[in-house]
Amino acid sequence: MTTYTLGIDAGSSFAKAVVMQDGKLRAFAAIPSGGNYAEAARKVSMEALEKAALSNADLSTTVATGYGAATVDFADRTLPDISCHAAGGCHFFPSARTVIDIGSQFCRAIKMDGDGRATNFIMNEKCAGGSGKFLQVIARILHMSVEDIGPLSMEAKSPVEFTTGCAVFAESEAVSRIAEGASPADILAGVHKAMSAKIANLTIRLGLARDCAVTGGGAKDIGLIRTLETELGVELLVPEEPRISAAIGAALLGTNQPWTVTTVTHS
Amino acid sequence: MTDPKTCFAGLDIGSTMTKVVIVGGGQETSLIGPTGPEHRKLANRVMEEALRRAGIALGDVTYIVATGYGRINVPFADRQVTEITCHAKGLFSLLPAAHTVVDIGGQDSKGIRIENGKVVDFVMNDKCAAGTGRFLEIIAEALGVALDQLGERSLAAEKPAVIGNMCTVFAEQEVISQLANGEPVNNLIAGIHQAIAARVYALVRKLKIKPDIAITGGGAKNIGLVKALESMFGSPVLVPREPLLTGALGAALIGREMYEKAARSGAPLATRARVLGEAKLFNN
Repeated sequence: MTTYTLGIDAGSSFAKAVVMQDGKLRAFAAIPSGGNYAEAARKVSMEALEKAALSNADLSTTVATGYGAATVDFADRTLPDISCHAAGGCHFFPSARTVIDIGSQFCRAIKMDGDGRATNFIMNEKCAGGSGKFLQVIARILHMSVEDIGPLSMEAKSPVEFTTGCAVFAESEAVSRIAEGASPADILAGVHKAMSAKIANLTIRLGLARDCAVTGGGAKDIGLIRTLETELGVELLVPEEPRISAAIGAALLGTNQPWTVTTVTHS
Repeated sequence: MTDPKTCFAGLDIGSTMTKVVIVGGGQETSLIGPTGPEHRKLANRVMEEALRRAGIALGDVTYIVATGYGRINVPFADRQVTEITCHAKGLFSLLPAAHTVVDIGGQDSKGIRIENGKVVDFVMNDKCAAGTGRFLEIIAEALGVALDQLGERSLAAEKPAVIGNMCTVFAEQEVISQLANGEPVNNLIAGIHQAIAARVYALVRKLKIKPDIAITGGGAKNIGLVKALESMFGSPVLVPREPLLTGALGAALIGREMYEKAARSGAPLATRARVLGEAKLFNN
């Protein structure tokens, strides 16, 4: 008999939902969280179910994780985000032993065993310097969308050297550098360097075990991935849809379903 | 009228504001203007306006010392001196009893230990916006309150809100969401002052704090922040009449000292051509 499970990651910036069919990804959705995590979780779940052509009645279980997990009242259970990130990372890349998650608020590095269990982790929740928020701040002053940052940054000729890793100071520094004639591409490449330094610092403190996967919204930024690869000196694995990793992990852990690899994209 | 024979100018080019103090002939003229996003290109304008008000020509200024983070490559300055040294000198002349200075600037905060107008030790944070004026600016904007209103409003707070985040970016979000949950604006402002005071205290206590403690920089103009710092330090603090001008005043006084010393030794100081040009951004 086919088992369907719903995994929800109520993130601080985006709500993500996945429908898993016997441990394989069947459908997913992602929407901005807005101010209301419960409402966003409900909406994104309905959207994922619709894409999967299923209804609530077909689900064997619903599992929530993430910043706003506690508000998801229709979930059967909630799970810690670190466990879900580990399980999700391992689902995408069974060879991965480190997952770096670059979310909008937090950056985490998680070490895991061959079964996708988190064995140790380190998290930066005190400073926006290594988080996706930094990208949002810079995108705003450059009047561009976050999605366009990666491709544009690849055109950089001489990346701006920021004297600071602070997102707030980098913003004013970027304004000054633009006034001096620095190109947006060079600014963005500089931001990637500043962020990568913070993220790499975190990862190295944890201890980098290969292979290393990167998830979260930040992983969609190809410029950031390339800079981080240089900084860490390893090739990074990035799933096709890096934002849904924790939601997948939640769905998988919720059913204890042995999983199979559904998508593997070596970036 | 300032005696044009001997007058000294101190120019403090901060990250946010440019300050000029001209001393001479028993008179003191000062001016504060924005540094502006184009770095220190506006320094010559602030200088020009200060000279106009003092009623003296640039060529008649005996010696000009530049300080602050934008002090390099100012074409009309004779010498650069670090803001730490200038702060100590300026404060000593204003408040001789102060032995510890807490300076809360636009983009940094620092603590300086002073003995007889000389720097004994200092600590500085210019790597993180928490605990600096920038933090206040961002929160003020998020709350829709003018920067110069923050102090008064926070004094009217019933109970300071607890701001859990240290990072400016996260604290801004936290303030917005607490506001949405009905937390009164005044309580949030008071909470922000406590957060900054805690951050600044954590920095400055690395020094051996010796009373009296003085607060300078733009942060000292915020009565709510000054009160929060007083309760954090557990003692009253001194605030100069115009806390923004401490560094520029110190620069002018250092210029005068150097000039007088040189005059006594019979080897007059070399000065640069007095051209009110824009500061160059790079050495070349």
